[in-house]
Amino acid sequence: MRRIFKKFTWSQFIIASILLLLSFSVLIPILNLLAMSFSDPLKVHKLSGLGILPQGFSFINYEVLFSNPLIVRSIFNSLFLTICGTALNLFLTALAAYVLAKTNFVGKKFVILFLIVIMVFEPGLIPEYLLVKDLGLLNSYWSLLLYKAINIFYLFILMRFFEDVPDSILEAARIDGAGHFRIFTRIMLPLSKPGLATLGLFYGVYHWNEYFRATIYLTDPNKWPLQVVLRQFVVERDNTTLLGAQNVLSYDQVQALDFGSLQAGTIIISIVPLLIFYPFILKYYAKGALEGGVKD
Amino acid sequence: MTEKGIFQRIKKDWVIYLMLFPAILYFSIFHVIPIIGMKLAFQDYRIIGDNIWVGMKHFEVLLSSPAFMDVLKNTVIISSMKMIFFFPIPIILSLMINELRNGPFRKYIQSVVYLPHFLSWVVIAGVWISLLSPVDGGVNVIRNFFQLPSLDFMTSKDHIRWVLVFSEMWRSAGWDSIIYLAAIMKFSPALYEAARIDGATTFQQMRFITLPQLMNTVVVVFILNLGFFMNAGFDQVFNLINDSTISKIDILDTYVYRIGILNGQYAYATAASLFKGVIGVILILSTHFVSKRLTGKGVW
Repeated sequence: MRRIFKKFTWSQFIIASILLLLSFSVLIPILNLLAMSFSDPLKVHKLSGLGILPQGFSFINYEVLFSNPLIVRSIFNSLFLTICGTALNLFLTALAAYVLAKTNFVGKKFVILFLIVIMVFEPGLIPEYLLVKDLGLLNSYWSLLLYKAINIFYLFILMRFFEDVPDSILEAARIDGAGHFRIFTRIMLPLSKPGLATLGLFYGVYHWNEYFRATIYLTDPNKWPLQVVLRQFVVERDNTTLLGAQNVLSYDQVQALDFGSLQAGTIIISIVPLLIFYPFILKYYAKGALEGGVKD
Repeated sequence: MTEKGIFQRIKKDWVIYLMLFPAILYFSIFHVIPIIGMKLAFQDYRIIGDNIWVGMKHFEVLLSSPAFMDVLKNTVIISSMKMIFFFPIPIILSLMINELRNGPFRKYIQSVVYLPHFLSWVVIAGVWISLLSPVDGGVNVIRNFFQLPSLDFMTSKDHIRWVLVFSEMWRSAGWDSIIYLAAIMKFSPALYEAARIDGATTFQQMRFITLPQLMNTVVVVFILNLGFFMNAGFDQVFNLINDSTISKIDILDTYVYRIGILNGQYAYATAASLFKGVIGVILILSTHFVSKRLTGKGVW
């Protein structure tokens, strides 16, 4: 025991303590919401703002949330947008990345210059909104799937991953008579799984967290993803939507509900998928972000 | 190469062009058309028929409007506050994390401090509104423990900008430290070995070995941030703003959203965002060349 302690200097002990406190400052607010969401609505007022253990224990908040059609639908909407959006992003980005990283063609330099130029010019919100409107995509999921279908930063990152695949393998396939599309699907994609996983996480996190375009493009609440519904509850303080639960609960139960706990439950639901993927995010995301030199 | 050679190559490589086609089509529609669409800043919007050219009218209105000046002021103040008070935090954090040995504790700290980066600003707004609640929010629990009265931070004009700075720290300090940590990992261990033999303390090693070598990365990141100075954090403000604090934290991007999307003044809002865009491009281009001159590393 003594020897282990001897290895640490005082300053290291102080640094470790500060970092431990910082980690608590991140975790406690989230755990507090978790505790709130599982507390008995009648006892939740006893939960301190720093408490991490539920007061009493009850699933009532989640029962109410999961019996609210708007929330259940929004969860499925979010899953649909995240899965389809990411798949579309990956396909389009990988296709372009293969061509730009591994082939030579007339006009390649021009295409790269074109990408850099449009990366620098941000047209801003209004021209984009009017374009979506003119294309007739308002209130359609295509507006969310097509907007940022290819992120240029991410395209450049994937190109670097693709460049790591040795040319000799592609050359061998070409000699065997494989065309570009065949090389792309049979060799490039299987050999670039870490790169694709990295990009899949980039795009997936983006789609799951997307709320702003959905707020302005989707006017029908039935199409809203979870983040928009969550925003409606916690930012806009819209209680009425939540009490659509009246038909599954008795009047007394509705009276006893705690709005803050219901909000907390909604926040927790929207974090869970990220936590499930968090080990993969830690493994691929950070490395990819550094490799691309992007800060986002 | 002869003319004929080029055409033959294009013809031979038709599959390549076919594979590139979806991307080019996408970029042409969703990037080029909106960029051309910015000409709306010099027009009046018409629902039926063609827009009318009005020259610099919107910019003249904009620059003489006190509301726009307030928004511009807020943007500069909030960005500056973040530059001064947030920017050093990830650097300090990376120095501290670097002192931890590889092992479960270091892994735990890193996993926790990176986490908030992956939460949306909607979620973070939810967490912070609860954390700062005047009734039983965590921060006020601590204040009450020290005999201080509860404060309603979210509606306080004096505190809301600090809420922006601190919530930015909560979200990004950990994640932003990664880039510094990656740089530190590449420093030669021999220097630290020599310093230890000479009896340098942990703090002295940080101050005289790590920090000087890290300055190159610090300069690059600082310059990159400068390029996005006019942004000030749209998603953050959009989710933390309310009627009582709008005069203090309404920034250019939230202003464009409000007058453009909510009020339907498309042309005027486009002028406002073009104004911001031009300053942004000037900043990015100048930072790119300054950075290239100073460190040999550009923005792209």
